[in-house]
Amino acid sequence: MAYVAIADRDHHLHDPTTFIEKYIWSQDHKVIAIQYGSVAIFAGLVALVLSLLMRLQIGFPDTFSWITPYSYYQFVTLHGMIMVIYLLTALFLGGFGNYLIPLMCGARDMVFPYMNMLSFWVYLLSVIILMASFFVPGGPTGAGWTLYPPQAVIEGSPGTDWGIILMLVSLAVFIVAFTMGGLNYVTTVLQARCRGMTLMRMPLSVWGIFVATILGLLAFPALLVAAIMMTLDRVVGTSFFMPALLSMGQASDHEGGSPVLFQHLFWFFGHPEVYIVALPAFGIVSDLLSTHARKNIFGYRMMVWAIVAIGALSFVVWAHHMYVSGMNPYFGFFFATTTLIIAVPTAIKVYNWVLTLWRGDIHFNLPMLWGTGFIFTFIHGGLTGLFLGNVTVDLPLSDTYFVIGHFHMVMGVSPVMVLFGAIYHWFPKITGKMANEVLGKIHFWMTFLGTYAIYLPMHYLGILGMPRRYYAYGQTDFIPGSAHQVNEAITIAAIFVATGQLIFLINVAYSLWKGKKADPNPWGATTLEWQTPDTPPVHGNWGPKLPVVYRWAYDYSVPGAKEDFIPQNHPTRPGEASVG
Amino acid sequence: MMTALAIALLLGVTVWWLLVQRLRDKPWTVHGVIPGSQEGLTSSAPKVGLWVFLGMVTSLFLIFAGAYVMRMDHGHSPLQEWQPVSEPSVLWINTVALVVASILMQIAHSRVARSDLEGTRRYFSAAGILTVVFLLGQLLAWRQLAAQGNYDHRNPAYSFFILLTAAHGLHLVGGLWVLGRTAARLWRGLNAASIVQVAAVRQSVALCTIYWHFLLLVWLGLFVLLMST
Repeated sequence: MAYVAIADRDHHLHDPTTFIEKYIWSQDHKVIAIQYGSVAIFAGLVALVLSLLMRLQIGFPDTFSWITPYSYYQFVTLHGMIMVIYLLTALFLGGFGNYLIPLMCGARDMVFPYMNMLSFWVYLLSVIILMASFFVPGGPTGAGWTLYPPQAVIEGSPGTDWGIILMLVSLAVFIVAFTMGGLNYVTTVLQARCRGMTLMRMPLSVWGIFVATILGLLAFPALLVAAIMMTLDRVVGTSFFMPALLSMGQASDHEGGSPVLFQHLFWFFGHPEVYIVALPAFGIVSDLLSTHARKNIFGYRMMVWAIVAIGALSFVVWAHHMYVSGMNPYFGFFFATTTLIIAVPTAIKVYNWVLTLWRGDIHFNLPMLWGTGFIFTFIHGGLTGLFLGNVTVDLPLSDTYFVIGHFHMVMGVSPVMVLFGAIYHWFPKITGKMANEVLGKIHFWMTFLGTYAIYLPMHYLGILGMPRRYYAYGQTDFIPGSAHQVNEAITIAAIFVATGQLIFLINVAYSLWKGKKADPNPWGATTLEWQTPDTPPVHGNWGPKLPVVYRWAYDYSVPGAKEDFIPQNHPTRPGEASVG
Repeated sequence: MMTALAIALLLGVTVWWLLVQRLRDKPWTVHGVIPGSQEGLTSSAPKVGLWVFLGMVTSLFLIFAGAYVMRMDHGHSPLQEWQPVSEPSVLWINTVALVVASILMQIAHSRVARSDLEGTRRYFSAAGILTVVFLLGQLLAWRQLAAQGNYDHRNPAYSFFILLTAAHGLHLVGGLWVLGRTAARLWRGLNAASIVQVAAVRQSVALCTIYWHFLLLVWLGLFVLLMST
């Protein structure tokens, strides 16, 4: 492949001249990343408020008369959907994917910058459509975040007028946005890496985002198909998913549709979605731990293989979400087996993180705190996953708080730990200011201890048999009074954690305003984004010449080196084995 | 299940490709710039982007097909609401039109490679026109089905027929939009002496050709699926 320095091709760099081109209709991946990130965090705050409303109802039933069963289910649904798709997916891929891929690969921008810009605006449109459902007659859908038919469509469920239609349309629009972004991420990784940056020299953050994007491109179509078919069922009256029903003595206009088909489609997307969120988190946390332990990542090659293996396996485990839906027992056996197999590469990653820390020169600054916090929460969430992966254990636990505790630990708290670690880690590069350490530590401990106080007791409630999705429990024999007290405590912990997030927002605002000016490479990191000539990097990232990469991303504490890190673009030293 | 296997296969190909890309490197042992390593932005980025997109579209139609088969199995249960449609014969003509469009596109591709702009214009536009003929034929098929009057929206076979042909048609419409833009450049204002402009058109025609062949394959798959039930 002929090497043509992009610096020689000035037509690729449309330098923005006006304010609007620079900050609004921007084609610069860094601006788009910040746009994506801000909208995603805003959506996440809405979902956070919804979760508090739910907790208020569960912790103190009969106290808030304005929380009705109807609105409770709407909170449940929107909380789940926003957190999983519009916050986590958008922030990891649209936010960090956009920011990190070109910088870490040594590119000037994404390969299709115009499409990248469209991706953000279409994403914003999907968020607006979703938020609009709060203001339409009947309110947003209350079908549960999995939107199972028939109750998502039939009268009697909350939000079947407009809410469900807006939800499905918003999802379809989101998928369009994701496709435009995803094509960029994959193609940029494949085509726009700088000289010397082989695939096996890429930082694990890029690997995680890259494989997660491929998963998204293959899995989101399943959600799109499900959304289109359900919209048709709702609007035109087709019978893809909707069975014949008698509702209040009236026969519905549907015949013989298959609700289980929807579940297959939803989870065929839904399970890879777990890894669309988890793989970028795995990749990013590897870089955080390695950088702040001043030690190369343990088993880099195994880490890459594990990411790829987890990605591939994530397509053959989906029906473990459907053990209670009724299926051929052999299927249950198959999916339980694949589910347990996926624990192998995942466990390899966990061991490697711990071994990276082993005898490292650990600096307990903010990114490291969040990174180690992630190891704890992920191990806890992962272990309860082994329980639920087994059919016989899952059946009694499936509809209880055990499942809530499990998935919030593994795909709620854990990725969020990494997100905050990543924000604190890259904050100096993105803004040019250091984030305030004291506020960040308060934020960490409130979040870490608070989320344990929320989700650990939920496992006990689940084993006790406390059903999930209930608006109120009343007085029953199998739920003792102490369980109600636990629920109150959980609600108080939830308010505590939410307050912690306010401290994060204050920290961001304060550090932007009064933070210490950041060095170009305050952590002494090896990867390319810390070697840019300007901080924050300007349009085009690299000045007149692209970087050239001479080594992998993890040359920390190399014996004989002057400093405890050697940047990737640092030429070969005398005595190092080299090629070319 | 079949869909899952097909997607696993797709992933398998990706993994194999990655392995070929020296996933067995030990990056910590070797320093310096490895010869033949990825370098800079190359002109084939749009082509790679297109293939990635086609991977996604493949997944979309495989999942559609999977849903079709699963719904059909379900529909053959006691309720018998799955009433197969008798496909209008115009579908055969449409298929021929799309095959010929694909062949014409291939010829246009070989013409543009030889910088024969006149020939490219002719074959490229003809391919576009035949594609429009295909789409109109599909609309006619819808009308003929509706005119038979035996089907209503509750029959999933009928709903699926409309849904699948519409999904395929929309992808072709997207292709036609790109084709139209390329044709506009071919007809107007193309400076045959400008290497950059000719190279850009050559690339657009090449990408269209890949896309048309791909959508032909998708249609043949869908046609077989629809006819076999």
